[in-house]
Amino acid sequence: MNTKKLGALALALLLTLSLAACGDSAGGDTATPTPAPGTQAPDAQTTESPAAESDVAYIQNKGTLVVGITEFAPMDYQDENGEWIGFDADLARKVADALGVEVEFSLIEWGSKLMELDSKTVDCLWNGMTITDEITNGASATNAYATNAQVVVLKADVAEEYQTVESLAGLNFAVEAGSAGEAAAQEAGLTHVSVSDQATALMEVSSGTSDACIVDLLMAGAMIGEGTSYPDLTFTVRLAEEEYGVGCRKGSDLAEFINEQLKALYDDGTITALAEQYGIADNIIPQE
Amino acid sequence: MFWTVTRTLLEGFGTTVQIFALTLVFALPLGLVVAAGSMSKWAPFRGLGRADSPAWIKALASLRPISALVDLVVWVIRGTPLMLQLYVMFYVPGMVTGTNPWGSGAQGRITATLVAFVINYACYFSVIYRGGIQGVPQGQREAGEVLGMTRGQIFFKVTLLQMVKRVVPPMSNEIITLVKDTSLANTIGVVELIRAGETFRTNGGLIWPFFYTAVFYLAFVGLLTILFNLLEKKLSYFRV
Repeated sequence: MNTKKLGALALALLLTLSLAACGDSAGGDTATPTPAPGTQAPDAQTTESPAAESDVAYIQNKGTLVVGITEFAPMDYQDENGEWIGFDADLARKVADALGVEVEFSLIEWGSKLMELDSKTVDCLWNGMTITDEITNGASATNAYATNAQVVVLKADVAEEYQTVESLAGLNFAVEAGSAGEAAAQEAGLTHVSVSDQATALMEVSSGTSDACIVDLLMAGAMIGEGTSYPDLTFTVRLAEEEYGVGCRKGSDLAEFINEQLKALYDDGTITALAEQYGIADNIIPQE
Repeated sequence: MFWTVTRTLLEGFGTTVQIFALTLVFALPLGLVVAAGSMSKWAPFRGLGRADSPAWIKALASLRPISALVDLVVWVIRGTPLMLQLYVMFYVPGMVTGTNPWGSGAQGRITATLVAFVINYACYFSVIYRGGIQGVPQGQREAGEVLGMTRGQIFFKVTLLQMVKRVVPPMSNEIITLVKDTSLANTIGVVELIRAGETFRTNGGLIWPFFYTAVFYLAFVGLLTILFNLLEKKLSYFRV
């Protein structure tokens, strides 16, 4: 009888322990929709407020700048040795140097980018990121450092018929959910389905499940044509011009710090040199 | 190109196998603990109940707190998508406390994945274990008592021994599902097999590596199927 009770007790203990983790997160779930600091538990606030005061100090304190990326040539991609290189990766490295910390690149799911910032699993988003309303509302964006455009991609053999915005009306489009391409499709009133990423949008066109898709010009340049799985695709109409910036936590002083660095790196010619190295010299925005 | 792709996919496959193996290592025993919890008959207020007590006292007297708590957890875990549990596990602690408890880098993401997977699979395993334990006829336990075995001896030498062979077929289902569930980890940025294949699709404009990942899953599940068949044969004692 005694051993049975002991066993039950041990079990209860184990379960409470294993539940503790669950309990924490469940409590957080209900807390997140009300981000007003006043409504949060006092202990949560004390751990949060120093970081809110100076994100730069928080990053310098922990010694690494964690950069949230997806693999996106020519901005962030891996060389043969698995090192992250690219226009954005190299710039991020220079900013980390200026901060006096190590840089660390973390692959993220792009749809969760704001959550990644809020949960501090990354410190900034630096991945050819278009400054959209989503970003300016949910994060702090730096000054724009490069331009890009959204272009219409379709099969090369029909491309000639679709050279103007008006001619696109009858087509079915595939766009990346939450992307600037989706916004462009909505603005132009085009029939479209939203898929998980730009690569899937291209696959839709290639397999004929959609007539055309809207993707980044930089991406279209790198992903279609000879030497890819999409030799029969081409791009035509430019729909929306857009600007790239770096995303930091809402209200973070890191944005201001990166702005200063962008200016310094532009003034000493580093940005121009990098842009030439990665073939995006035409897209650079001068830093005033 | 084929070899570059194969090498990259093998790296992703390594992460897949790591998640698979470590989930099993922790979830298999934890599942037994959860099963024991859900079968716990401990009722601390049993003594309060009388034939003429009001209904709420009767309810309190029949309350089995451990069993009820465990059933609640199993309900929550089995009742919500594993993908959602991954998101909660990885993102919510950092949002609430202001620091990310998982550590930065790829390993932190894998750790969060493991914790979510272990809890999830332990709950599913527990129900299979419970079926296996309850499927052993009461008469066998009574026979053990008659033979003068202790409760521990009866559990390990009679019940557990026969449970193991009973749960192999349903467990094989669950374990094979786990192989493919590891692909969910890519929703929180873990570079497992599917994500490794997607890299070529999202970056290099190559589609075939994505579909080529299926070969790895098929080979792995094929191997597991053979192992499970061997295990079933090995456990087919008691057959007369």
